[in-house]
Amino acid sequence: MNTTQFIGEHLWPGQLGQFCVITAFICALFSAFSYYKAVRTENKLIGESNSWIKIGRAGFIIHAISIFGIFAFLYYIIANHLFEYHYAWEHSSLILPTKYLLSCFWEGQQGSFMLWAFWHCVLGLIVMRTAGILETRVMAIIAIVQACIASMLLGLYFGSDIQIGTSPFMLLRTVMQDAPIFASPNYMSFIHDGNGLNPLLQNYWMVIHPPVLFLGFSSTLIPFAFAISALWKNDYTTWVRPAVIWSLFAGAVLGTGIMMGGAWAYESLNFGGYWAWDPVENASLVPWITLVAALHTLIVYKATKRSLPVTFILFMITYCLVWYSTFLTRTGILGKTSVHAFTGDGSSLTYHLTTVIGLLLILCIGLLIKRWKELPRITTEEATVTREFWMFIGSFILLLSAIQIAITTSIPVWSPLAKMITGKDVAPPVNPVQHYNSIQVWVATVVALLSAAVLHMRFKQSDGKLVAKRLAITGSMTAVLSLFIGFDQKINAWQYDLLLYAACFGIVANIYYACFVQKVNFKKLGPAIAHLGFATVLLGILLSSFNKHIISYNTLGINLRFEKPTREEMLKENYENVLLYRNTPVAMGDYFATYVGDSVAPPDPRTFYKVDYVRMDSETNRVTESFTLYPDAFVNHKGNQSLISNPSTKHYWNRDIFTFVSSVIDPGKKTDTTKFVSHIVHAGDTIFLDNGYMVFNGFNAQVKDPRYIAKEGDIAVSAKLALYDIKGLVKTMQPIYYIRDRYEYQVDDTLGAKYLYARLSKIIPEKNAAEIMIRQTNPNSDFIVLKAIVFPFINVLWLGVIVMVFGFLLSMIRQITKKDRKVITNTPDITAQ
Amino acid sequence: MKKSHIVLLVLVAVAVGVIVSMFGDFSTYETFASTAKQPGKSFHVIGYLQKDKGMEYDPQTDPNHFIFYAKDKAGNITKVIFNGAKPTDIEKSEQIVMKGYNDASGTFHCSGIQMKCPSKYKKDMAVGDNS
Repeated sequence: MNTTQFIGEHLWPGQLGQFCVITAFICALFSAFSYYKAVRTENKLIGESNSWIKIGRAGFIIHAISIFGIFAFLYYIIANHLFEYHYAWEHSSLILPTKYLLSCFWEGQQGSFMLWAFWHCVLGLIVMRTAGILETRVMAIIAIVQACIASMLLGLYFGSDIQIGTSPFMLLRTVMQDAPIFASPNYMSFIHDGNGLNPLLQNYWMVIHPPVLFLGFSSTLIPFAFAISALWKNDYTTWVRPAVIWSLFAGAVLGTGIMMGGAWAYESLNFGGYWAWDPVENASLVPWITLVAALHTLIVYKATKRSLPVTFILFMITYCLVWYSTFLTRTGILGKTSVHAFTGDGSSLTYHLTTVIGLLLILCIGLLIKRWKELPRITTEEATVTREFWMFIGSFILLLSAIQIAITTSIPVWSPLAKMITGKDVAPPVNPVQHYNSIQVWVATVVALLSAAVLHMRFKQSDGKLVAKRLAITGSMTAVLSLFIGFDQKINAWQYDLLLYAACFGIVANIYYACFVQKVNFKKLGPAIAHLGFATVLLGILLSSFNKHIISYNTLGINLRFEKPTREEMLKENYENVLLYRNTPVAMGDYFATYVGDSVAPPDPRTFYKVDYVRMDSETNRVTESFTLYPDAFVNHKGNQSLISNPSTKHYWNRDIFTFVSSVIDPGKKTDTTKFVSHIVHAGDTIFLDNGYMVFNGFNAQVKDPRYIAKEGDIAVSAKLALYDIKGLVKTMQPIYYIRDRYEYQVDDTLGAKYLYARLSKIIPEKNAAEIMIRQTNPNSDFIVLKAIVFPFINVLWLGVIVMVFGFLLSMIRQITKKDRKVITNTPDITAQ
Repeated sequence: MKKSHIVLLVLVAVAVGVIVSMFGDFSTYETFASTAKQPGKSFHVIGYLQKDKGMEYDPQTDPNHFIFYAKDKAGNITKVIFNGAKPTDIEKSEQIVMKGYNDASGTFHCSGIQMKCPSKYKKDMAVGDNS
């Protein structure tokens, strides 16, 4: 054992934090056990059952306090830069702005588990107060899941091979035992700063996106727990109302979280878009899809008592998928296929997560088998023109869509098996975006059509003629609208024309429904608004992706590769980056782009590249529009030979111009080797420069210049130089020459934008001439390589997301406030006894 | 048989059809030698950057032209042309996954590169083919 006394460590926050971890784990188990006992005794001994409930509650509350404690102590460690802790050293640094301290939590593995546990606690406390008669069962499940998550933070070691969880409170010297520095007791005096946060995460989206996404993930637990409770209790009425409410909540929050991730990718990553069908993105999308499917079959069950078994299955799939997505993104199994999967945390996490998923599956399948025969079913056939029929079909299509995405995303999981069977080492599609799009476009089309039509029907029995009439009206209005958009936006692929029609139908039919059928009764508008938002999202995706185009094609004459002359071939060959020399305008789409220069503003470690854009009227050659974008990048951050670039986007109401720097000149190579060149000139003479010319307009004997302070006996004169470029006069320059105490002095004049240095080095009175020395550094020695993409109508997408989430929330509020006439939940006040 | 069951059966049949056909879309991890057997067809190749063979990237002549040499898992070294900007951390990569095809002359044309970086917590980087 190591008995060295180390100097300068702060051990108490870690020890208290670790104490909280263990308390949280034990209390979660204890709470789950107590609630379980309460369930076992509820029919026999009411008094004993109630005592167990009280103990279970106490256990969960202590558990929640401990989880908040873990958070607080880790925050204390990070905020106070206690780099003796591995977590703080690995994920933070002294210069990290306070607003990003929270982001340090989710950069690491344990922090995101903590975030997950944190939300479970918050939601669990709410459910504890509101679940009524189902409290015991629901809380037992929440508590056992919490125990699973808390076990991820335990950091227990059995021998050298077996590890259970990883504690966030590990000391640096424990993690890196072999490093010789930790042999010295005063090692803390050598550790001055932490590794710092990944620059990609230093973005405001990364402060808010993970908490929202994890709240979404966490909230899928609640309807799942209610579903399990219903099966456990063999009571299929009580659970419906809370499950609907919590599913709506989860759908809204998870949907927001996913699209915030898209917004983050769009604003701060250079993927070139908001969605790349990256495995990590898919991992959060798939549970959302199945959750929405489950929500719809649950509503069918609520209204018609049909589709109960499939509802249970869908909720189970959703929750298992949430853990599966954690498995995909956290264990490093995606290593070869994902852009932003975490690299693995060793095999212990893989086994740990596999165990949890296995336990979940056993619980789900076991309960289903046990209750399968007892589940209430309706054997009569449903009518075709009803909501329940089409909602069921829609949910099933959503499930199939989820399965397709899951199969392709899981290639790294099942490819070892496939290799054993077929001998082929299966890789993801070469063009994943095209792969998913070509399949999912059909799902999107059908689901959009259903989401448009379904609200016009009723449950159980609809007036077929009325439905047909309404759909005919809205369908023909849609035809006009979609024809207009299709021609205007030149959407000329028939699959996407169908999607366009379906999305427009979703918009028109739901607006029609809201206005003319529901008469804008705001309280009841939730479903129509959510469907409207969904259709708007699809329209936004279609418009922004179908006509997304790159405008940064390399068109500089000298760079054209003559064997690849056509635009199509350039497209195919990925010639998507353009070289911008400093101060040399380049045509890019409708614009002339000019790279003007770079700048840094310490302590911000980024370099900003200023690029001016102007749009000219092609006939009058007048500038109709000009703006400046500042794409930035971390250049050689922390001594790495690297460029991590962040985009800068010009937003119009109908399109975005998305630009980022894909390569820059190595700052070390920006050497300046040019020398002054001498020109002997008379008044009126011209000096030709690299990108313009200069006229010498004679001398000025009255030198008034802040750079020159006159002294008694000086002889001072300046040269009047006028600088011109293609557009005309740029500036006048006045280099100064003076004689003081029989010595010659010169004051140069410089023009930064043109890299021009002018010096009046000598006056030749006999010839009435001047020697002007000019130095112009080569503008070609500074350049950036830029990529620019136009996204038309991307605002439609963001608008759709907001509308959809609003619809979810409105439905949720409606469900909470609505007086339920049929189901009377008899909640005995157990605490009073 | 209920109508909904018929519809479900049809949907399942369609889905099975789609999923089976989708397997044709999947690529495979190959070696340079095996990609050379089917020139023009795109595959994934896992390899390692050969730093000693040098790299060519001169954005001033062509910002979309980066040449390097990679060794695949079978040990063959091949010239790779990537039509894009040079990925900035490629020197540090411990493994690279290249998407692309082999032309008849044995040069590998790469449309996307994904790198695995040695730092444990550093996210993997990818370039190309994401748009």
